[in-house]
Order: sequence, then structure tokens, then C-alpha cells
Amino acid sequence: MSAFTIARIDLKRFAVRPFAWTLAGIALAMMAWQFLLGVSAFMHAQPTLPGPATGPGFVDAVVAPYLLNYIQLCLVIAPLITMQALAGERGAQRLGLLTASGASGTGIVFGKFAARLVFLWLLLILVATMPLVLAHATHPDWGQFGAALILTALCIAALCAIGIACSAFTREPALAATAALLIGEGLSLIDAGVRITGGDTGWLGYLALHTHLAPAMRGLLRSEDIVYFVLIIALALALAIRRVASERERG
Amino acid sequence: MAATPALLELDHVNRRLAGHPVLQDVSFSLQREDVLGLLGVNGAGKSTTLAIIAGVLRPDSGSVRIDGRDAIDDARSMRERIGWVPESVPLWPELTVIEALDACGRLRGLATSTRKAACERELARLELTTVARRLCGQLSLGQKRRVGLAQALLHEPDLLVLDEPGNGLDPVQTAQLRELIGMLRPKRGIILSSHVLAEVEAMCNRVVILHAGRVRHDAKLDGQHGGLDAQFRAIAAQPASAAA
Repeated sequence: MSAFTIARIDLKRFAVRPFAWTLAGIALAMMAWQFLLGVSAFMHAQPTLPGPATGPGFVDAVVAPYLLNYIQLCLVIAPLITMQALAGERGAQRLGLLTASGASGTGIVFGKFAARLVFLWLLLILVATMPLVLAHATHPDWGQFGAALILTALCIAALCAIGIACSAFTREPALAATAALLIGEGLSLIDAGVRITGGDTGWLGYLALHTHLAPAMRGLLRSEDIVYFVLIIALALALAIRRVASERERG
Repeated sequence: MAATPALLELDHVNRRLAGHPVLQDVSFSLQREDVLGLLGVNGAGKSTTLAIIAGVLRPDSGSVRIDGRDAIDDARSMRERIGWVPESVPLWPELTVIEALDACGRLRGLATSTRKAACERELARLELTTVARRLCGQLSLGQKRRVGLAQALLHEPDLLVLDEPGNGLDPVQTAQLRELIGMLRPKRGIILSSHVLAEVEAMCNRVVILHAGRVRHDAKLDGQHGGLDAQFRAIAAQPASAAA
């Protein structure tokens, strides 16, 4: 119950503050530009591509790279939108007020997480609407589109949870954002060196975001990829809950 | 017949923050309808004491009891009986007064009808009806303090914990605060902190003087304040090491 109330409060605050609107506006403008570039490149390349049965379709050539671009953008947006979640509340002494009002550590963390996830997923819906408007003209592979969208949503949830965890461990929102950005970029680039040289990425590959996003972008929804993102979310939120719950001891 | 337990009882409470002892062996009690003033210079440990009572901080050792029940391990259920207003009155600046009160009512788990009635009651009691639709961020300090108080009173707590309630208030607002505390006193206990002796004298019937984290004086106020004034000055003038 307290999680729902806290999520409501934060969504209301997002709606009133210009920060979230500005962030959403900039993100959508950048994604619209990316989408137009993708469509333009696809149209120019189409005469040279093999026929629809064998060649890359609209989802392969436009939607998958476009969603991957959105994930790259979320590596920055997620830390920005989560940095105030707990660090800012702690700095303004509102975390104590929430605790004194009867909210549990779990309720506070889930509420903060849910509000930011709603914002990022709403943005994802708007981002996904752009390729959808061309659906009548392009015959997209809906299965592939759905798989890519589901894993993108999970990846964003994981980045959001990492941001919440970073925000739980500091009093400085800028520090929380920097830590979340570094972790996100780390997960994104951890196997880059090995991948470029073509070697076996091993456990580094398992940790990398790319390893778990690539199959979904090809239309393959694997349980191990879902488990990977669920594990990140669970671990990050558990750490955040533990930190907030120990606030009484730490002071 | 067993004696009725005190509404609030602190027994040998100790707390360190960042490695330094902030409270040392703090013990005092509060009866229903008492208004206890926690007096001390800045850094004496008043806010830490109040945060421990409110369940926001946990003492390193010692006990806090409310009506004889442990308020440390059972902090969640005890919070239902406490209303806490911290010194800085943390409000969500983006919410209107009525939204902030409603949110606090929800967090307290009040049912919809009870919550609405409680919000209306506190808006009227604290004379906030005219600013109910204004954003909390646009309120004056005095109004913010009243909103903080309204939030703390929504669930009709038995114990009201006010951290420096008079800070930043003009003389008119201070007089209103005194009136309000007098009005809230029946049926509940109130503990407030201050570093202004005159404020405590005007609002409280008991005083506890804290210095360097220790209780240095605990007595009823009987209207003869000359001695207390001198005592407070003498305690406040002592170096922290002397208090320890």
C-alpha cells in the first residue's frame, strides 16, 4: 500500500516538475531523429537487399537498431531520473518523514522504482509508436517486434533498478547518477574488447547487456535472457531495500 | 494495583553518530497531557533524541517505551501513536497542501472516508483552508510548519514530537503556536525541542536540559523561572568535555 502511495506521489511530482518533461522531450526528439535516419537508410538500401523471404526486414533493419539506440539513451536517462529517488529524499529529510509515516524500506524502494519505471516505460511506448505508424506499409514481423520490445522493457527496468540502488547508497544525487551511469556503461561495454577481437567472451559475455539483447532483437526470446534482467532487478532492489532499512541504524 | 506506565519513557539511551557519542545515558519520561520542553544549545542532542522517539533512528543501547511497550523493536506499530514534525519540515514542494495531507493519510493507512475527514479537520484546526490548493513549495515558513503539524496530527497521535517548532516564526506566528499547543495538549503528550528558554517556559510544564548528549536537568516548571534561567546559562556555558 505504501509503495503504491509513494509511486503516486512521485508520478504527481514528475507531472509538475519541468525536469521530467524536458528529459522526455529531448529523448523523444533524439529518437525521432534516429528513427528517420533508420527509415531513410532502409529505403536507400532496399533496392540492393535480397527479397523479403531471405533479406532483413523492417524490424531487422530499422526497429532493432532503433530500440538498441533507445537502450543506449536510457543508460543516461535512467540515472538522471533515478538520482533524486532516495538520495534527494534523504538530503531533504523526506526519507525520515516517510519512515515516520509508517512506510517500510521495501515500500519506499518499490514505490520509487515503480514511479520511475512507469515514466521510462511510457517513454518506451511513445518510442515504439514511431515504427508502429509505418506498420501498415512495411509488414513487420510482429513476433520479432514483440520479443525486442519485451527485452528492451526488461533492460530499462534493470537500468532503473541500478539507478535506485545507487541512489540508496548516497546523499548526493550527482554521485548516484554517476555511479549508475558507470555501472550501466560497464555492463554495456564489459565484453566489447573481446567481441571486437572475435574471441570467446566467456563469463564477461554473460554479464554484458549486448549478449542478452542480441537474440531478442533477432526475434528469439530466451528464458536465460529474461532471468539475467530479472536477477539484476532483484539484486539492485534488494540492495536498495537493505540500505534504506538500515537507515535507522546508520542515521 | 500496578502504576500506569508513563506515556513515554526513555531509559539509558545511548547513540553514536559518525563515531561520536551524541546521546549518553539519556533517561526521562513524559506523562499524558504533559508538554515537555527539551532544551539545549545547538548540538546538544535534541534532534537525535526526538528522531529516536519518532522511530526514525535506533538507539545503540537503552530503551524507549510508549505506554510501557517497547518502541524500538516494535517501531512500526508504535509510529501509529506518534506524530513527528522535524525541524526542517520536509514537504513535497510539488504537491498542494491537500495532496500532501492526503498522501500522508494514505501512508498512515487511513481509510478513504477517515482520511478525507481527517484532512478537513486538520485544515480547519490549523487554519490552512485558504491555502489548501496551493503548492507546498509556495508557502511561507509559518504555513509550512502548520502543514507539517497537520500531517503529524492526521492520525490523532497520542504523542506529538516537535523539533524546534518555533524556529523562523515571527512573534505573531509564535503566539499562534503557543495557542495551538495549548489546544492540542488535552488527551496527548507533547515533547518539543528548543534552544530558547522563553519559548519553553511559555509552552511547557516540564523541562529537560540536554548538554553534550547528557540530561543535565529534569524538572517541572512552576512559574519561578529565575533559577532555571541561571541554571541553563551555567550548563550551556560548560565545555562539552565537562558534561561528559
